[in-house]
Amino acid sequence: MARVDLQITRRQFLATGLAGTALAGTGMGPGRSNLSMRYPDPPWFATGEVVTTYNYCDMCPWKCGIAVQSVDGKVIKIDGNAPDPKSRGRLCGRGQAGVSFMNDPDRLQSPMIRTGERGEGKFREVTWEEALDYTAEKLLAIKDQYGPESLAIFGHTSGDFWFTDYFAQAWGTPNAAKPSSALCLSPRDEASTLTFGHAVGGHEPMDWEEMQCITLIGSHIGEDARNTVMQDFVEARARGAQVIVVDPRFSTAAAKADYWLPIKPGTDTALLLAWINVLITEERYDRAYIDQWATGFDELASHIQEFTPEWAAGITDLSADQIRTTIRVMADRSPQAVIMPGRHVTWYGNDTQRMRAEYLVNSLLGVYGRHGGMYFNKSPFLDSYPHPPFAVHGSSGGCSAEPGEESDVLPLGPSGKARADGAREAFLRGPTAMQELIDPMITDDPYRIAGLIVYGTNLLNSVPMPNRTIEALKKLDFVLAVDVLPQEHVAWADVVFPEATYLERYDQLSTVPHKTPFIQLREPAVPPMYDTMPGWMMARELGLRVGLDAFFKWETIEEYLNTRLRSVGSNLEKMHEAGGVIIQEGKPYLEDFEADGGTPFHTPSGKIELSVAELAEAGLDSIPVYEPTEEPPDGYYRLLYGRAPVHTFAKTQNTPDLSAVYPENELWINEDEAVALGYANGDRVWLENEAGDRTGPIAVKATQRIRKDAVFMVHGFGQQSSGLTNANGKGASDTKLMSRYKLDPISGGAGLRVNFVRLTEGG
Amino acid sequence: MSGHDHEGEILRYRTRQRIVHAVMASSFLILLITGLALVWGPLAFIAAGGWSRYLHRIAAVGFISVPFLYILLDRAGAREVLVESFQYDHDDVVWFKKMYRYALGRTSDMPPQGRLNAGQKLHHSAVIIFSAVIVATGIVLWGFKSSLSPTMLAWTAMIHDLSMLALTLLLVGHVFFTYVYKAWSSMATGYVPEDEMKLEHGKWVEELEHQVATGSES
Amino acid sequence: MASAFLLDMTRCIGCEACVLACKAGNELPVEMQYIELIERTSGTFPNLVGGFENHRCYHCTDAACVAVCPTGALFKEDGLTRLDRDACSGCGYCVQACPYGVPKMVGGRSSKCDACASNVGAGGSPWCVTTCPAQALQFGDREKILAEAKSRVAALKDRYPKVQVYGETQAGGLGLVLVLPDDPETLDIPADPPLVPVTVDVWKHIVQPVSMGATALAAVGAGVLGVIARRNHLAELKELEEQEKAGVAAGGSESTEEER
Repeated sequence: MARVDLQITRRQFLATGLAGTALAGTGMGPGRSNLSMRYPDPPWFATGEVVTTYNYCDMCPWKCGIAVQSVDGKVIKIDGNAPDPKSRGRLCGRGQAGVSFMNDPDRLQSPMIRTGERGEGKFREVTWEEALDYTAEKLLAIKDQYGPESLAIFGHTSGDFWFTDYFAQAWGTPNAAKPSSALCLSPRDEASTLTFGHAVGGHEPMDWEEMQCITLIGSHIGEDARNTVMQDFVEARARGAQVIVVDPRFSTAAAKADYWLPIKPGTDTALLLAWINVLITEERYDRAYIDQWATGFDELASHIQEFTPEWAAGITDLSADQIRTTIRVMADRSPQAVIMPGRHVTWYGNDTQRMRAEYLVNSLLGVYGRHGGMYFNKSPFLDSYPHPPFAVHGSSGGCSAEPGEESDVLPLGPSGKARADGAREAFLRGPTAMQELIDPMITDDPYRIAGLIVYGTNLLNSVPMPNRTIEALKKLDFVLAVDVLPQEHVAWADVVFPEATYLERYDQLSTVPHKTPFIQLREPAVPPMYDTMPGWMMARELGLRVGLDAFFKWETIEEYLNTRLRSVGSNLEKMHEAGGVIIQEGKPYLEDFEADGGTPFHTPSGKIELSVAELAEAGLDSIPVYEPTEEPPDGYYRLLYGRAPVHTFAKTQNTPDLSAVYPENELWINEDEAVALGYANGDRVWLENEAGDRTGPIAVKATQRIRKDAVFMVHGFGQQSSGLTNANGKGASDTKLMSRYKLDPISGGAGLRVNFVRLTEGG
Repeated sequence: MSGHDHEGEILRYRTRQRIVHAVMASSFLILLITGLALVWGPLAFIAAGGWSRYLHRIAAVGFISVPFLYILLDRAGAREVLVESFQYDHDDVVWFKKMYRYALGRTSDMPPQGRLNAGQKLHHSAVIIFSAVIVATGIVLWGFKSSLSPTMLAWTAMIHDLSMLALTLLLVGHVFFTYVYKAWSSMATGYVPEDEMKLEHGKWVEELEHQVATGSES
Repeated sequence: MASAFLLDMTRCIGCEACVLACKAGNELPVEMQYIELIERTSGTFPNLVGGFENHRCYHCTDAACVAVCPTGALFKEDGLTRLDRDACSGCGYCVQACPYGVPKMVGGRSSKCDACASNVGAGGSPWCVTTCPAQALQFGDREKILAEAKSRVAALKDRYPKVQVYGETQAGGLGLVLVLPDDPETLDIPADPPLVPVTVDVWKHIVQPVSMGATALAAVGAGVLGVIARRNHLAELKELEEQEKAGVAAGGSESTEEER
């Protein structure tokens, strides 16, 4: 009898315990009494007690709050955490596959030290003691010989704080970088900082609830499956909001759009300038808003005189009519009409200027600080754990840095060396550009980088010019790879630290700048599998071995987290009981600032800077201009890339459930072009770029959904690692076709859509 | 052929014929059970997981091979059974009229019969015809199921099932007469008691005696 | 009371969260998947209409798969089509019969959505419904679901002139009620799926039971009759033997019999 009772309790708990809001309106299903008893129970109904832990998802960088249910030390189900402002009780496909990610049999299971040549992937398993001692010894040798700046640290995913931010700053290297900066967000954040005096922030501050018009330029909601954004987008649309999508490809979002502008790749700035032209010449902009909150309008007005819709039509392959209609649709709904700041915006090397042009349109529509426009986000209040002053300012950017620890000041290392990525010379500003640290590893210019720690970054499948990266890996004195899976670059490491996944570890608190700033908890659902270790513990153990004891005074992670939480009147226990999230008050609208006479714009003028003096001083355009992008030569197509909803970057291709649903990428090519080339759907081809780099085979997807001058594939496939059962050799690698990039002179972003490919037969 | 072990017996089925019969009987029984598992819930456990479907196909190959095997092993016997099964004489007609007596185990006033009595002829001819139908529909269900519309699938399966009904009823009759007339040994050893054969297959025994007399033993 | 899903394809954004929530919640083996998002596009660049078919069990009231299932592994319950894989024989007739091409053979047995029978039985909703970021899915009493679908369609006419409810009448009424932005054919969904063929009913409900009954009767009859007949035959043989013995003394037996 007791067993039966337990069973029923668990059933009800699993079914209804979490997604309360989701069920409220729809929980009309039949009760158990109606259910045929012959129907078999899932295996987890049989034994044990359900334990719920709170966490934030690590399957993509968006960090949805999740509730994890475990029975007998086995994770059973992950659901969205209802009170969490990111997930609201719902979750995307990748989040649902978290258990599959954790249980991937290909996981790294033990610390290892290299025995063969670099790149051979031959290792011996060692104890943590040996791996940590050996690594510390190597790091100290590099520090002694070349100085602390000679250690580069690359990090990605939510545990990167411990290495790329905390350890790097304590150790004293300014050469810590994240792909989420120069390979992704730098242009949008630098453009935002120049225009508004603050970065966009990881969670785009879109005031979705009242939005009436959404414009997406190269944003692929639906294929880019960020949970909250999908929820908000669908809800706004269902409410009647108009959707304008600018994309060379008929994306999922384009299929949902009221207006689809199939723009010629690389000409977005021309479209944006024409939109500005219409707003100003037709006097459809928000004059009162501009007068009160912006500077440089006159300069802008005269700048855009010549950029008429007719001028842009010839450049963009759109009609002047389309251009006029769409901006009028936006203007009619302003300020509840927003061009969404895209995420991966490093396209053509002029990306900060393009993002500025987007912000200028938004500014003329008067969206910033307005209901239904864009709100001002605020970081949650939370003290740092007390530590001695850092040896160097953090400048790796990304979204996991602790608020207030980033600075515009170009950081200098303890031995007086600045960043090796050419900041202030090759480009104006912004966080450390990862791709610019590869050359110094090869050339020793401006100084030698001898060591590299790679935390959770799929180095050879995310940084352009992978051949150059391999050359650099060969030349380094020491490489440490911290990862969950034997990704391609792990074979090039001297030491491998296998990390426990997010479901198996405590971690840094996640602090999300938001309309309602909030703090998310990560607590382990189950103990680490195999001989793996949480990242914080690795960083601490290394720190203690390289003389950074003062930075790692806490004995346990619980002590560390409790100390921080004390500053907001909480602790681990209270936060768990509160449902794993602490939500604070924000200051989202202009009226909140007007009340106390302050300004949300932290620019030199305290206003929106339509024209930026800093750019002019650096010899750059103070107002965006359109610069033509190089065109593909005959027989070549521009390589575009993007996302599948069930995969994140080059991280999840091996996850069994996700691989089963989307095992390999396809090459989207215009159907007419495919026919002309003699290819049909499903034919397998190899791709070759102008430099002769090849990847494949990849299945042709002959479709009407893409322009004739470009091909498209989902990023992250074509990985070459024999340790990845599901991902190895599946599809083609866009990264391997990126044998060049165009550096953005403002942000240091790497424009990646400047590679041209052709279809070929055979390997 | 005849040895001193078989005093008072006649060789009715040669070894090769018995091999053919064994192949047919065993494959048929496997087909019956594995097929029934798809029709009858209580037997579904046999089919659960699908292994019985493979067994069904293996047995089907055995069943389909029976005529070829017969021709290969005993061409004369094969021809004999085919020819005899479709030829009926006046005695056979009379036999059918009195069949109910035969079914009740009374042979004494049945008309004299050849190697195959009229019932056996009918049994054989029916088996041949329904086997052809079941093999044809079986091949369709095996190889071309996916190109059938639901209606055609139902028709094919229904005809397949009905053929099996016929063959199973024939099997029931076959077993019935084997039991009633103690004929188990004939397919086990090939020999049957001469006196019983005189009673049940009088013309055949006469023919055999005639052959022995004229020295044209086959 | 019949239950049903509401699937609003004007909301579905093709993210496949439902696909993976279903896999995770039902602990499906890697190779098993109850929901599939299939891209459907019509037109030529740049005049395109695009969408997805959220391909999954339609839970027909008159379910062809249930009609053809030889073992009863597929059955109707609460208006939904359930599958007891333990009872599945793997004949694959359901794969053939389904007008929507839903059941798949996995590991030698049929595999399809069972509307999260276990979880719903415990008072929850199907996993796809609870996770759907687009809130394109609902689950509940079919009458309420139908009413909701109709009210949505009424509200969507401006944006989608051809918006419609799908599933009110098809296949006797579906347990998956769709709000479609356009004609179902644009998503390769049959506007009027074929009804369960009469032949199937005749075959399943007449031919098979009658055949089995007839066979059983014949077998029993043959058994009873066999005992009697064999006794007769043995008696006859005994008589014959005696006659023969007597006949050796008194002349041929056959003539005796013929005379009788």
